[in-house]
Amino acid sequence: MDPGEQQVLVVIFDVSPVWWGLKSLQGQAHITKFFDSLIIFMNSYLMLHSDNKLAVIASHSTKSIFLYPPPQAGNEQNSSEYGDCRDKHFAVVDNAIISSFKTLMSDGCEEKDMRSDSLIAGSMANALCYIHRITQELESRERASSRILVVKAADDAASQYMSFMNVIFAAQKEHVVVDSCVLGQDSGLLQQACDMTGGLYLKVPSQYAFLQYLLTAFLTEPELRKDSLVLSRTKSLHSVDYRAACFCHRCLVEVGFVCSVCLSIFCQFSPICSTCETVFRPSSLVLKSRKKRKVPSRSSSPCTDASIK
Amino acid sequence: MNGIERVKLECKSLHQYLCTLPQALLESLYEHPATCTVVFRELPQLAKYYVMRVLFVDKPITKVAVTSWATNEARSEHTEAVAALCDLHVWNEVILPGGVSSAYSLSFTFRKNLQKTLIGGGESWSSTAHLGPDKHAKDVAELDKYATERWEALLHFLVGSASNSAISQDLQDLLVQSGLIRVGEEDGRRYTNITAKGFQFLLLDSGSQVWFFVLEYLNWVRDRGMNLVPILRFIFELSFSSVGKVSKVCSLPNVTWSQSTKAKFLQDLPTDGKDDRVLQCLQHFREMGLVMQRKRTSRRFYPTRLVINIASRMQNSSSSALSTGFIIAETNYRIYAYTNSELQYAILALFCEMLYRFPNVCVLQLTRESVQTAVVNGITADQILHFIRANAHPDMLKNDPVIAPTLADQVRLWAMERDRLTFQEGVLYNQFLAQHDFEVLRNYARELGALVWENAAKRNMIVTKDAHDQVKRYWKRYKKESGT
Amino acid sequence: MLIMDEDNEKAYRWEGDYEKTWEALREDDSGSLQASIDAEINKAKKRRLLKKQRKVRLGMMRHIFIVLDMSQAMTDQDLKPNRALVVLKVLQKFVENFFDQNPIGQLGFIITRAKRAESLSEMSGTSQSHIKSLMKLSSEITATNAKSCTGEPSLQNSLELAEKTLKNMPSHTSREVVVIMGSLTSCDPSPIYDTIEHIKMQKIRCSVIGLSAEVHICRHLANETGGTFGVILDQTHFVDLLNDHIDPPSGMATDSSLIKMGFPQHIPPHENGKVSMCMSTKQFSVGGYYCPQCQSKYSELPVQCEVCSLTLVSAPHLARSYHHLFPLPQFSEIQYARYVHQGGREQNCFSCLKNLQKGSESSVHQCNKCKTIFCLDCNVFMHVTLHCCPGCINSRCEI
Repeated sequence: MDPGEQQVLVVIFDVSPVWWGLKSLQGQAHITKFFDSLIIFMNSYLMLHSDNKLAVIASHSTKSIFLYPPPQAGNEQNSSEYGDCRDKHFAVVDNAIISSFKTLMSDGCEEKDMRSDSLIAGSMANALCYIHRITQELESRERASSRILVVKAADDAASQYMSFMNVIFAAQKEHVVVDSCVLGQDSGLLQQACDMTGGLYLKVPSQYAFLQYLLTAFLTEPELRKDSLVLSRTKSLHSVDYRAACFCHRCLVEVGFVCSVCLSIFCQFSPICSTCETVFRPSSLVLKSRKKRKVPSRSSSPCTDASIK
Repeated sequence: MNGIERVKLECKSLHQYLCTLPQALLESLYEHPATCTVVFRELPQLAKYYVMRVLFVDKPITKVAVTSWATNEARSEHTEAVAALCDLHVWNEVILPGGVSSAYSLSFTFRKNLQKTLIGGGESWSSTAHLGPDKHAKDVAELDKYATERWEALLHFLVGSASNSAISQDLQDLLVQSGLIRVGEEDGRRYTNITAKGFQFLLLDSGSQVWFFVLEYLNWVRDRGMNLVPILRFIFELSFSSVGKVSKVCSLPNVTWSQSTKAKFLQDLPTDGKDDRVLQCLQHFREMGLVMQRKRTSRRFYPTRLVINIASRMQNSSSSALSTGFIIAETNYRIYAYTNSELQYAILALFCEMLYRFPNVCVLQLTRESVQTAVVNGITADQILHFIRANAHPDMLKNDPVIAPTLADQVRLWAMERDRLTFQEGVLYNQFLAQHDFEVLRNYARELGALVWENAAKRNMIVTKDAHDQVKRYWKRYKKESGT
Repeated sequence: MLIMDEDNEKAYRWEGDYEKTWEALREDDSGSLQASIDAEINKAKKRRLLKKQRKVRLGMMRHIFIVLDMSQAMTDQDLKPNRALVVLKVLQKFVENFFDQNPIGQLGFIITRAKRAESLSEMSGTSQSHIKSLMKLSSEITATNAKSCTGEPSLQNSLELAEKTLKNMPSHTSREVVVIMGSLTSCDPSPIYDTIEHIKMQKIRCSVIGLSAEVHICRHLANETGGTFGVILDQTHFVDLLNDHIDPPSGMATDSSLIKMGFPQHIPPHENGKVSMCMSTKQFSVGGYYCPQCQSKYSELPVQCEVCSLTLVSAPHLARSYHHLFPLPQFSEIQYARYVHQGGREQNCFSCLKNLQKGSESSVHQCNKCKTIFCLDCNVFMHVTLHCCPGCINSRCEI
């Protein structure tokens, strides 16, 4: 059977109230249906191998919350409770997830929570920290293959670009694969994340297909996916958009100007960098003449230093 | 060839065992969610994902579609996965109505019960909540001690060592049937004798021993015409109980069953009339030390580490032995065994000579004679070395290789000495009248490659049996020619 | 500990007081050393954090020449199997790390032996070519049994060779030279002080890593041009010294300007089935990156367009460098008891759910901005790898 490699999976579920509220008003999708499918998926994952480790994070619009493992109790005592049989293990996991999900849902949201964009980056950062800890605890025994599955509903948050990129690079460095299952609009950021970490990016067309998508595509571990399982022939059809968005107008640019100090991207030339307030020299001609003037003043400085000494 | 029969002890994996069962039996096994999960976990990796893919798809999947699931590089794994699924009748081949293309469909009961496990529902099958807390709760150390005691009693019986602790007739029968012992009768007294297979069995590590024994037990049960299904289920649930965290101390005593739940569980199966089959099985297991029950009538029992070993055996990982290693083998062929167990002494005595015995240690010597006696008994050199390695003292484990090459080689050489003589049938030609006649015939036989042995001084030669006719014909012709 | 890193004024180690290093370890009541070992481990983790200091302006567009001594002195076997092979092996790792951290930086290699300096690989922004030439050199050394390391190195010749390329680099980029010197001598055709003066005027920052001992001229070179000087203690220290050059130096010396860059989109092979030539590797392939200005094709980024000399990068390349510019501020460490006293209610680390009460360290780490608390391991992970604070993102108070 499969070698002694342990799997760690962190599922991030986007529960953005605005998006789900809107969908449910339109009668298109209901969050509980998706949540049920997700639970079946997680049980299947646990059933694959008894050593498989799972964590679930709910990504609300202003907070991200660990649904499982439950944060209050130490994990150690917890495991003994469901240690007796698998059926019960599932039940324990399910109950923990459902109860914390219920509290989250019934907490209600305040005015500040009403945002249409999602907080995936924060949840992913938490997931990485969690994976980091789990793998460190295992390290002496065996290698773990770890994975993050993002189930995303709401739109990308433009303000999170930088954090998101940092998270992707960290995931790449830690060899964590990011898979994403997108329910709403295509997400450029997640596309990049999946592309760079070797994960799978899929957009689910209808809520009825959600569970089948999860079981077919996202249950398989990344290594197996690469070597032996054909998942979709359409995978490579869409190319990942690596164009940059300029800092001034947030529009995608093909040719832009980059500040040499802070690497901010601008779509047109401006004399002062808006990010780091550096003043740019307009042309190379001026630059050269200035340099010439600078040279003598610089060379004189060591002399003065020497005289002080 | 020499006359010793070479018996190979065969130890099947769970998967192989299940494959031997008839489809109807498997189907009824799948009635139970726990069994489904055990079988599911046993599947090859790819097969697991295949099952998951079709779990919620009610229609059969055409073969062509299934083939397209795997890349070309993984063709062999794919075939293996599909074969495993079909062997276990998890997938059944069906012909699609109105078409020539054949398809696979997931077994209905398997699907239903696997879904049940995932989604929930159904009744829970192991609850002791209504029994209340156990007054006589056992801790792990006690369980371990109990298990070791019982299992060693069984092995003692096998070795036939002095302390002939009572072993029930059933288990004796089982030992005989599995070919581990031979029963003879002499002067009206029954006596038992260990077989070559039995020797090999002794040298296995305890995990493999238990698994082998359980398999034999299942065969035995089947031969007696008992219904396998409830017993298999019982074993699965037992092993299952501990799959989660094997080493977890507290996970053990939690698993307790009441007889009432068992009765309920058996009522689910009308085909099998009597629920005391499982109870009888429980008693057998109790005797082997696989489970611990305080009294025969006690309403709960505890699985011991030996059963956990079955579980880990099914997971194909090396099982943790009951005790740590105790043997130190030196390059001067001395073996120091730090143990008090009579059984271990008896096993070691199978291939060593005892030199000294002290309260907690004994010194033994591997000699040519002792090793060859072992070989005569049907033990191979590799099994001896495996036993030493498997029971090596932690200090000895630090060596690399664990057993010094000189020692290992010598044991093998001694064993090979038994194979020095090779027997070959042949025909002796003698009483040649002239040296020339002898030489002519010998040269002819040598050209044929049929000459086995010759002694020119005594004019004797041996020719293989196959070539005898040809040589004889040649000789007659030669005589005729030279005579005329 | 590492005297060589510190300033000249400080006394050498052998001049200092007798150090009783073992006194740091103390047995606890039960005679166990575990507590003090844990404390040491935690201290080491914290030291890693402190090394990351905020720099005001960084030279993000870096051009570094690495000058490799390949003279007789490199056959010494004080590093096993010999100096040259060890240095080449460490450099391969360095190249990878460098491009990981400086995606728009460029590297070049110069080797010096037999009184001459020659270019090993030209200044370029792709790691592959450098690693290939380093590997070629090291197999050459193995094959000739280090016979190819001959003569004396020439510091002056190599500096001049490096300067020739570096002085043409635009002024907003950093110009750096790192010399890895095994020999204690250098064979130079003319006074080297003039060369150093010249290099200083070109604002080229020179650092020297000595493999044998401190040499005055090397220290002088480093001090004059604003670089660092270090002598290695052993192989791990060598790796440490070299890795100091991975983080971009403070960019005060460079000018700033807006640079025009192209962000080409990747065209996958099946969308445009035509075979075309990659302009940098000169190999034919299907699909790739097309320069938005002149439509020439490249198979790898970042690269400078051969046709219109536009720098082509992808947005993630730039983003990879952002953490240097916007580093995560240090967290403050508070005792758990004090944290509770101040009214903190959290028992677990925000990110990894580790219980903060038990565990070897009884202190928590708090982000000063969002007031979230973390454990030490997460703190290190966030500052070294993640470069952002999950608490801040979640409460939407990041930059």
